[in-house]
Amino acid sequence: MHLRVGGLARAYPSRSCAGCRARSFSTSHSRRSVIIHAGHVQSLNESTNALVSFSTETHNLNFHGPLSNLTVAIKDNICTMHLPTTCSSGMLRGMSNSVPRSRSNSITEFTSPFDATAVEFLKAGGANIIGKANCDEFGMGSLNVNSIHGPVVNPYQSPNEKSVPWAERERRSAGGSSGGSAAAVAAGMCDAALGTDTGGSVRLPASYCGITGLKPSYGLISRSVTFQLIFQKLMDSRWGVVSFADSLDCVGVLGKSVDTVKTVFDSISSYDPKDPTAAAPRTRDRAKASAESLLSTLDVNSSSPDLSSLRIGIPQEYFPFELNTTIVTAVRKVLERLSSLGAQLIPVSLPSTPYALSAYYVIATAEASSNLARYDGVQYGTRSPLLPGADKSKPDNVYAHTRSAGFGAEVRKRILLGTYALTADAFDNYFLQAQRVRQRIKTDFNSNFRIPNAQLSDPSPNPDGVDILLHPSAIRTAPRLDSDAISGLGPYLQDVMTAPASLAGLPAVSVPAGLAADGWPVGVSIVGQWGSDELVLCIGNVIERTSDKDNSNPNS
Amino acid sequence: MLVRRCPWRSIQLHQLWCPRQIHTREAIHDKRWPGWQVIIGIEVHAQIKSRRKLFSESSTSRPGEIPNTTVSTFDSAFPGTLPTLNPKCVELAVRTALALNSKVHHQSAFDRKHYFYSDLPAGYQITQRYSPLASGGYLKLSKGDVSVGIQQIQLEQDTAKSTFDGLRRTSLIDLNRAGSGLMEIVSEPHMRSPEEAADYVRTLQAVLRCVGSSDGNMEQGSFRCDVNVSINKHGQPHGTRCEIKNLNSVKFMTVAITSEVFRHIELLESGCSVPQDTRGFDENKAETLKLRSKADSPDYRYMPDPNIPPLLLSEEYIETIRKTMPDLPDTTRVRLRNLGLSERDTDVLMAVDSGHEVGFDGELGKGAVTYFDSLAQQRDPRVVVNWMTHELIGQLTARKETFSDNPVSVEQLGELIDLVQDGKITGTSGKSLLKHIIANRSSSAPSVLARELSLEAISEDDNASTRAWCAEAIGALPEEAEAVRQGNPRVLNKLVGKVMQLSRGRADAQNARVVLEDVLRR
Repeated sequence: MHLRVGGLARAYPSRSCAGCRARSFSTSHSRRSVIIHAGHVQSLNESTNALVSFSTETHNLNFHGPLSNLTVAIKDNICTMHLPTTCSSGMLRGMSNSVPRSRSNSITEFTSPFDATAVEFLKAGGANIIGKANCDEFGMGSLNVNSIHGPVVNPYQSPNEKSVPWAERERRSAGGSSGGSAAAVAAGMCDAALGTDTGGSVRLPASYCGITGLKPSYGLISRSVTFQLIFQKLMDSRWGVVSFADSLDCVGVLGKSVDTVKTVFDSISSYDPKDPTAAAPRTRDRAKASAESLLSTLDVNSSSPDLSSLRIGIPQEYFPFELNTTIVTAVRKVLERLSSLGAQLIPVSLPSTPYALSAYYVIATAEASSNLARYDGVQYGTRSPLLPGADKSKPDNVYAHTRSAGFGAEVRKRILLGTYALTADAFDNYFLQAQRVRQRIKTDFNSNFRIPNAQLSDPSPNPDGVDILLHPSAIRTAPRLDSDAISGLGPYLQDVMTAPASLAGLPAVSVPAGLAADGWPVGVSIVGQWGSDELVLCIGNVIERTSDKDNSNPNS
Repeated sequence: MLVRRCPWRSIQLHQLWCPRQIHTREAIHDKRWPGWQVIIGIEVHAQIKSRRKLFSESSTSRPGEIPNTTVSTFDSAFPGTLPTLNPKCVELAVRTALALNSKVHHQSAFDRKHYFYSDLPAGYQITQRYSPLASGGYLKLSKGDVSVGIQQIQLEQDTAKSTFDGLRRTSLIDLNRAGSGLMEIVSEPHMRSPEEAADYVRTLQAVLRCVGSSDGNMEQGSFRCDVNVSINKHGQPHGTRCEIKNLNSVKFMTVAITSEVFRHIELLESGCSVPQDTRGFDENKAETLKLRSKADSPDYRYMPDPNIPPLLLSEEYIETIRKTMPDLPDTTRVRLRNLGLSERDTDVLMAVDSGHEVGFDGELGKGAVTYFDSLAQQRDPRVVVNWMTHELIGQLTARKETFSDNPVSVEQLGELIDLVQDGKITGTSGKSLLKHIIANRSSSAPSVLARELSLEAISEDDNASTRAWCAEAIGALPEEAEAVRQGNPRVLNKLVGKVMQLSRGRADAQNARVVLEDVLRR
């Protein structure tokens, strides 16, 4: 319980390396410490813009729950009853675009009448929710710069600029779209944060900020129910998550350590006891059984883990031309360590990978154009008054006016693209084509994994397959907020490493893997077969523990 | 987790765009439009009579409900809400499909249809465009030997209701209806006259009500029709069709079709072509009016709904519904006739039955046929139907009451019939007892009432009372008695009537006749 309330430079753990996690704040539940912590969080927020609203009271209902000693931030596209849910959009925050940093005009802010299921689970587990985290508008972006609340500034300070105060560090992106969640954790404002991951929105910011980020299997944090053995009902904890692209959206967890992420994940991926029809779906059990049988052959908990039965696939397509070479160096070091623990490294090929990004953007924008149709200024969205003399004869004009005023540029662009992809003329060539690519990507993954996909009706085992895939989480380190990389096609390329696992619905965790030549954090992603979330977390944990040894020497 | 097979979807799309098979029927010559053939197809939107909405837990609303009171966060499209399919709606739609001889698909799926309108909170309607619940099938019309083909049956959400308040120049939105389940039933273009179209709608209404899947009430909006009309010269290919939207009574539908046919004829005979329009109906002018042309028709940007997994229905499930669903009118008619009921009695019973209230979630209402079936379980069906049609329904009608007001329970009428059949009370007493129960809304057992009202019959071995009444009757009607003594048997009836009157119906008429004959002929 060490609370340090000195100057910012001291309060923020000097992050000369990505491994200094132990020094951020633990949480105490004495009232005094809560107040001190809150004040401290606000001061850290000045320099990061990670949080956009703050809890004024503790909502801890369970002081003995598994999360009772954790502070958690919630991405602002996840519904909470006690705090507004703006999705970083002028649509839901009200359209006072001129003062992006003022957060007091709560009158027009949308506040949900319910808590998301994941939030309910957090509360039930005793977590202390400190506030809502900044994000790209409706989750659309890779750098957290498309936000009515302004961009998130990465809290990381590279060892190369130790001489300047933390608040004056180099201003780089925290990644997106869950940039606020990642920055809040990395700055020590909270122990963990909920994010959402549609195409990499948890893994990318985790990588840029030097923390751990998990995107679980799609539908696994779920209340999957089969009733009468006839109806398939999938009611996952996306309940309360404002949809961007439903078939890809996952609630993800960001944390300062793999253990913290696992603790939170375990709490929110349990079944909802309020649902009397809840039954353990066979697929989930099947997936769990395969993953556990593999885990039992590994010795991962001892100080010198034995990974000799682990087969790690290195997908060749994940080392593209655009990949920064010093990132390869960092990833290679991780591989060397795993190899020294006995793991077998196997080069594999996922040939459809080059098409993944295009397919991802077609599917995601198409679904977004549909999901965001409800913000029309009638039921949802702040209505923008028409100018005098405007043509009101067609309702479409009135809708268009509000939607043009309320959405940011990136969201408008994606809605237009998605709308086009769904028009009768384009549907076959874009939307259906993208679905075909998606199927091929799934097939690619399935043919490489040793564990069969539990969702397939007749999965055939592949003894020569691999257990996990390992690749860089991003093609580069965090870009500067004032650089060219945050405009043009740059931001879209950021998702190239993360989109395939999203399309296939696979679990993936990004863990810190040392530093690149510029002194900024590098992340590696571990991707597993559907349902083997525990396995990827477990390997992430091994990487985390073994990396502590040499990250004091980042530029070696 | 959704697994979408894209090639399969594309095949589905392809099929959708294929020209339909042209239905061949003998040419019908209509005196109203000699030389022309009229082709009609109907799309029906029938509200599913379920207790809850299609994808949410909120109740479906009844007419007259206070606006915006049966609305969940999902119905109003709150950000972050997700749909959960209501199995009752599926069951009722499957019943409908089976009743229409449709093929229920083992796998169907849900799609989103997009458009911006204030009555559609989410900006899209969930429907089944690419992979409907059922396809194929037919409905046999009541007149002529005509079967109308069914193209497909799909589940979809109803919209909210918007009302324009002209005084305040404001649109009012009522979300009570938003998200209620609808069945869209699309017919093939197999109808050839406005009258056949009317017959199709009425027959379909009866089928839906019979299987309990919908109220089928056009006036209250739980059954809405869009009608496609085209005309062509006999032997020529089909003409361009126009769609007439939102017709809310059968009468208006026939008027609208007739007026549309004449409009097409006028256009064609003046050398113009018929543009493919979507039209409305002006009830006051009795003619259709243009809403929009084909060029203005919106692109609904259909997309598979990523939140709802495919709907999988096993053969076993479909068979269970087939076995447990209520009989169709035709089947019921045959069954009743096989029980020995006359055509007239069957007609009366079924006519009364068709007016019964449709229960929620397919629960069977208390219709006349169900009532009859319970009564006829261990009784002579012909006796039972006599009591029901002549006495029960007769007396209710005399009181200007309908069968749904019937206060007589199955147990009461059953016991009453048994009392009469066993000779415990006479038929005449039975009738007055029934009248008493209806008038007083009595729930007592008929045997108890018979005792209380002294209506118990005089048993055959209790000849003393009968003899006393007979003596009294002879005393009261000496001339008639003398006539009988002279050998005029017809006058005996008058004396028997007197005995019945004196005994207040308790005497057995047959027995009284024997006693009187015995006394007078001795």
